[in-house]
Amino acid sequence: MAKLSYREAVAAAMAQEMRLDDRVIFLGEDVGAAGGVFKATLGLFDEFGPTRVRDTPISEQAILGATMGAAMTGLRPIAEIMFSDFFGVCWDTVVNEIAKARYMTNGDHETPLVIRSANGGGARFGAQHSQSIENWAMAVPGIKVVAPSNAYDVKGLLAASIRDPDPVLFFEQKAMYGNKCEVPEGELVIPLGEAATPREGTDVTIVALANMVPKSLKAAEILEKEHGILCEVVDPRTLVPLDTKTILASVEKTGRLVTVEENPRLCGWGAEIASIVGEELFWNLDAPITRITTPHIPLPSVDVLEDLVIPSVERIVDTISKMD
Amino acid sequence: MPQMGESVNEGTVAAWYKKVGDQVKKDETLVDIETDKAAIEVPAPADGVLSAINLQEGEEGEVGVVICVITVEGEEAAAAPAEEPKAAPAEAAPDEEAPASAAAAPAPAASEADTSGNPLAAQPGSKLSPAVRRLVAENGLNISSISGTGKGGRITRNDVVAFIDGGGASAPAPAAAPAAAAPALPAASSSPTPAVDSRSFVPFDKIRKMTGDHMVMSKATSPHVLQTVEVDYHAVDAVRKKLSPQWKADKGYSLTYLPFISRAITMAIKEFPHVNSSVVGDGIQIHSLVNLGIAVDLNFEGLVVPVIKDCANKSVGQIAEGIKTVATKAKARKLTPDDMSGATYTLSNSGPFGTMMTASIISQPQVAIMSTDGIKKRPVVIESEHGDTIGIRPVGILAQSFDHRAFDGAYSAAFLNHVRQLIEQTDWASQI
Repeated sequence: MAKLSYREAVAAAMAQEMRLDDRVIFLGEDVGAAGGVFKATLGLFDEFGPTRVRDTPISEQAILGATMGAAMTGLRPIAEIMFSDFFGVCWDTVVNEIAKARYMTNGDHETPLVIRSANGGGARFGAQHSQSIENWAMAVPGIKVVAPSNAYDVKGLLAASIRDPDPVLFFEQKAMYGNKCEVPEGELVIPLGEAATPREGTDVTIVALANMVPKSLKAAEILEKEHGILCEVVDPRTLVPLDTKTILASVEKTGRLVTVEENPRLCGWGAEIASIVGEELFWNLDAPITRITTPHIPLPSVDVLEDLVIPSVERIVDTISKMD
Repeated sequence: MPQMGESVNEGTVAAWYKKVGDQVKKDETLVDIETDKAAIEVPAPADGVLSAINLQEGEEGEVGVVICVITVEGEEAAAAPAEEPKAAPAEAAPDEEAPASAAAAPAPAASEADTSGNPLAAQPGSKLSPAVRRLVAENGLNISSISGTGKGGRITRNDVVAFIDGGGASAPAPAAAPAAAAPALPAASSSPTPAVDSRSFVPFDKIRKMTGDHMVMSKATSPHVLQTVEVDYHAVDAVRKKLSPQWKADKGYSLTYLPFISRAITMAIKEFPHVNSSVVGDGIQIHSLVNLGIAVDLNFEGLVVPVIKDCANKSVGQIAEGIKTVATKAKARKLTPDDMSGATYTLSNSGPFGTMMTASIISQPQVAIMSTDGIKKRPVVIESEHGDTIGIRPVGILAQSFDHRAFDGAYSAAFLNHVRQLIEQTDWASQI
């Protein structure tokens, strides 16, 4: 099995699906000849040509309007919004149109589309290009939300997202584009809504997403070695649909829940999971549920400050080692 | 351990009238139990043989623990572990009679040695997680038998699981072992206690501690508001002066202001029923009976609040009689739990000491408490159709603390004003 980077897995998944289905097209800013500003779509333009891989003007509203129209008229478009922060100008199309089309037309119109976007911090892009907005998307009924933590999942989940009959927001953590892992060369599809458990343990359940997964795994290693605490790491991979079964089964086993997220503290997805676990498993909890988040501030671009505010391995170790 | 009134959680065995093996008869006095509120003679609930005593004299137990076993004729003696209560925590047979045997273990004298430096483990009320509470309840365990290995000696879920798996003998969970060594240091250094000089240190006795706990709880529960009215007692005084000599001669005690004030309050409650209520969940429960709690001081050794029940239609004289009865019982420490339960409104009377005003703390779950303070002759302006004059009148302040959750200041103020008018304008001669 070859090692692929997170960014190469993006292109691999898209190529896999574009080869299988002529209706799959791709559009965005500088995604074609340039291969994307993060080089996540290199090679697609050469293989599939300018009709199926289209560079667009710098207008996110135009990109998503065209994407929605294409989806409603028979194609299976993939759009790229360069930075997820730019969803700010896309929200009417996404929230009021794309998310609701199936419901408001009584199922007459589907919107089988994927909007890919570079999400999250850690790459020194500052307050307007570093936000983790998966919680915004999670709050909107009618869209699915995917946020993979490694190249293998990128390939399998992006393929599943493209095949999904409903709109999917696919968040690629931009600080992870260089991360490599083994990814099978053949067809790979991972169903949406199935959490992964990359580390098993009996003392604490850590629920982490995207770039917080490798950090949590590293922290779990240290916690076992230095504190004798056995952490189980659960990666939901998709926030909508959310695999509550896996999360609840894990917390039922360990009696302790820690969520680790890049979202600012108020109304991050960790709060939703904490709430579900609090309601379902109150009598199994052996310690207060603990959330590890970015504080409720716009992200700084200065490296030391960005490193300070985004949850770090050290913070995870420190928090969990001091838990009741 | 019988339930002896509201907010009584435990009792201490003062004296056994029987020893193991003695015949007991139903309703004959079996044991004296002391609570923070009263000493009570507990009668035997059935005929039989006293086959086990689990709590010795001087030992304390929570309400509901088995303090002794009476074997009724034809039954087998059923309490094997009870015969060696001291050895119970270490040697208790698995899954058998754990509550009864363990309840006897934390005898006050032995507790220091038994808890191996882990005070939390001996206190059922301390920081137990939902998971621990559930496991303890499901398995019928006694928490004081389980040692905690968590932070600060907390009993973790793993501790309970290990206790169950070990057949009752607690073994530290492997994962928590490294952390277990730590708590002693932070616990000692993080809470510096001021040096105690035993020659001048007065430990809280039970009644002091219970009162303190209730006061803290009440202040934390209810947003207290204090409102006062100044009352002219001349109408009361006129009647008192007239009746007092005969009253004292007939009954042997004085006719004080308190029964008049109490009567005015019970009359005013008819118009302002929310004052006579309790906060329950998201509302107030208005009480149909008016049961007046009367705070009685025990010569500075504590405070008890006996209750005069169903006062709504009691006359001044009947209330006076009620106050006299409960006060006498209180001073003699003869109050029963029933004498002290069920108050719906409380009066606290510091008046005999000449205080001017007292901001009392509500006795939960009531919503208001009235302080009656000193009544003193003062020059007051008296308005009449012939013009204003200055007269000498007995005047005092009535101070009510109320729970602002239950109602607002206007309601309380209107109630107080009504009480004042009733005291000043009632034809008291007809109310005796």
